Amino acid sequence: MKSSALSLRLVPAQLWVAYGLVLVCVLLLGFNTEDGFSPDRLLRILSNAAPLGVVAIAQTLVIINRGLDLSVGPIMNTAGILTAVLTASPGASLATTVPIVLIVGASIGVINGVMLAFTRIPPLLGTLATATVIQGLYSLITRGQPRGSVPPELRVLADHRVFATPFSGSLIIWIVLLVIVGLVLTRTVAGQRFYSVGANPRAAWLSGVPIKSHTLIAYTASGLLSAAAGILLIAYSGSPSLTAADTYSLNSVVAAVIGGAALAGGTGGMVGTFAGVAVLAFLTTVLTSFNVASPIQLVVNGAVLILMLFVNGRIAKRRAHA
Amino acid sequence: MNNIISTTSWRSVKNARFLWALALFLLIVATVTLPAFRSSVSVNSLLATLAPIVIISIGQAITIMFGGIDLSVGAVAGLATVMLALSGTIPGGAAAAFALALFSGLVVGLINGLGVSSGINPLLMTFAIAGVVQGTALLVQNTSGAAMPLGFVSILGTSFGPVPLFALFAVLVLVGAWLWLSQSRTGRVLQAAGYDQQIAGRLGFHVARTTLIAYGLSGMLAALGGLAIVTRTYAADALIGRSSVIDSVATVLVAGILITGGVGSLLSVLPAAVIIAVVGQIITLTGTDANFQTIFKGVLLVAAMGVYQLAGGSLRIPWRLKKSAVPANKVGPR
Repeated sequence: MKSSALSLRLVPAQLWVAYGLVLVCVLLLGFNTEDGFSPDRLLRILSNAAPLGVVAIAQTLVIINRGLDLSVGPIMNTAGILTAVLTASPGASLATTVPIVLIVGASIGVINGVMLAFTRIPPLLGTLATATVIQGLYSLITRGQPRGSVPPELRVLADHRVFATPFSGSLIIWIVLLVIVGLVLTRTVAGQRFYSVGANPRAAWLSGVPIKSHTLIAYTASGLLSAAAGILLIAYSGSPSLTAADTYSLNSVVAAVIGGAALAGGTGGMVGTFAGVAVLAFLTTVLTSFNVASPIQLVVNGAVLILMLFVNGRIAKRRAHA
Repeated sequence: MNNIISTTSWRSVKNARFLWALALFLLIVATVTLPAFRSSVSVNSLLATLAPIVIISIGQAITIMFGGIDLSVGAVAGLATVMLALSGTIPGGAAAAFALALFSGLVVGLINGLGVSSGINPLLMTFAIAGVVQGTALLVQNTSGAAMPLGFVSILGTSFGPVPLFALFAVLVLVGAWLWLSQSRTGRVLQAAGYDQQIAGRLGFHVARTTLIAYGLSGMLAALGGLAIVTRTYAADALIGRSSVIDSVATVLVAGILITGGVGSLLSVLPAAVIIAVVGQIITLTGTDANFQTIFKGVLLVAAMGVYQLAGGSLRIPWRLKKSAVPANKVGPR
C-alpha cells in the first residue's frame, strides 16, 4: 500500500466503472440544476441515502459469502414498526429500544443463517420465504396499521448537522459502519477468511476455515445492519410503515452489484458498495430533477442493474482469460 | 431417489402419488367439514383462483426445469392486464389487445432469455426485468382512453356451471406442456440442459435456443395468467401479480421439481396448486386472518425444499459448528 502507482493498477476495473458512473451522475446533476455542485447539497443527498447505504453493507457481506438476502426490506420495516411501538410504550427510551430492535433484527438474521448454512436451500428462495413470513407476521400483528410515533430525538439523527459540521448523524453512522466493516474485511485475518469462504468454499474448508459459521455470521450481520438501517429510515421518514422499505431489497442488491460484487461470491467490498449507493442516490435525484415520472425511475434502475451485470460479467470473464 | 426425468411413463407419474393423495385428502376434509366449501359459489371461486396460479406456475416450472427461475412473472401478469385495457386505443379492439398482451409477455420472456444466455445470473436478470416491466406497465396504465373491454372480459370469464372457462383452459395447457416437455425433442433437450447445461452444450444441443424457448414460454404463460386474473378482478392493475412470484415458485417446489433443474414432473404442478389453493380457501372460509395465508406460503416454501432434501437423503444436521477439514480423519463434505 506504500507505492500509490502500484496500488492504482491493482484497483479492479469494476471500481473504475462504478466511480465513473458516480462522476457522470454528479456532473449531470451539477450542470442541470442551479447551485448543483454545492457540497452541502451533495452531502444532503448522501445523507438521505444513509439507510440504503447501511443495508447495502449488509447485502454486500452476504453476497461476498455467495448468498443473497431478500429479507432486508421486511427486516427494515419490522425495525421501524418496533421502534415506533416500543418508544411509545410507558417508561421506554431510545436507549432501551434501539438494543431490543437490533437484537430482533439479528435474531431474524440468525434464523436465515441457520436455515441457509445447514440445508442446501438456495439463499434467494430461503430469504424470500423469510421475507414473506415476516411480512405476514407484522401485517397480522399491526392489523395493517402500525401504531406508535417516532421520538424527536431520533428525527435529529436525519435532520440535524452534528457539531456544526456539514455531516448529519445518519451520514456519520453510515460512514463509520462502512469504514469499520471495510477495515475488518481487508485488513484482518478474519476478513480474508470471509472472502476465501465466498470465493471457494471447498478450498476454504480444506484449509481449515469453518464455512458454515461464516455463513451464519454473514446473515446475522445482515439482519443486525438491516435493523439499524430500518431505524435510520424512520428517523428520516418520521412514521412507521408496512411497505416503506420494500424497495430496499432490490436496491441494496443493485448497489452491491454496481460496486463490483459478483453473485458467484468472493468479490466486492465497501469501497465499491459506497459508489453503488452514491450512483443510486444521485441517479434518483437527477431523474427527479428532470421531472421523470417514478415508473420510469423503476425502469432506469432495472436497466442499470442489467447493464452493470452484463459489464461486470464481461470484465470478470476477460480477467479469467488473461 | 426419484432422480428420473419427466416422462409420460407411469413410473414418472407415480412419484407424485403422495402429492395427489394429499390434495385429495385436503379436498375431502374441506368438503366434509365446511358446508360453505361445498357451495357452487365457493367451487367457482376456488377454480377461478386456481386457474391463474396453475398457468403461471407452468411457465415457472419450465424455467426451473431448465435450471433457471423467472422472477418477472408477477410484473408480466400486471403488464398483460394493462395491455388488455389498451383495447379502446388501438385498431382491432379487444382481440388485438388480447394478442398484444400475450405478445408483450413473449417479448419480455425473450429478453429474459437473451440476458440469461449471455451469461447473466437468471435470478438477477429476471429480478431486474421485473422492475423494468413494472415501471413500463405503470406508465402504460396512465394512457388516456384506456379502459377494460368489459364485454370481452366477461366472455373470457364465462363459466360452465361452476367451472370457469379459464380453469378448463389451464388444465389443457398443463397437459399440453407436460406432453411437450416429456415427449418432444425440444422438451427433452430442455430437461437435459436443466440437469447439466455444460454437458448438454457439449453434446451439441442448442442450449441458447432452448433458453429463449423456456423463458419466452414462461413470459407468455405469465401474461396469460394475468389475463386469467382479469376475469376475476375486471381491473387493469400493473401491480396485480405481486403475489404471483412467491405463489408460482412455492407451487413448483411443492410439486417436487428440484430448484437445481432437470428433475421433476410438470404434471405434479396441478396437485401442488390445488393444495395451496384449498388451504387458502379454508383460511378465507373460516374467517381466519388473510395474513395467515401469506405466512403459510412462506413456511410452505421452506418446508417443501426441506422435505424434498430429506427425501433425497441429503439433509444432514451438523451439530458442531466449527468442524473443519484439517483435524477430521477422513471424508470431507461432498
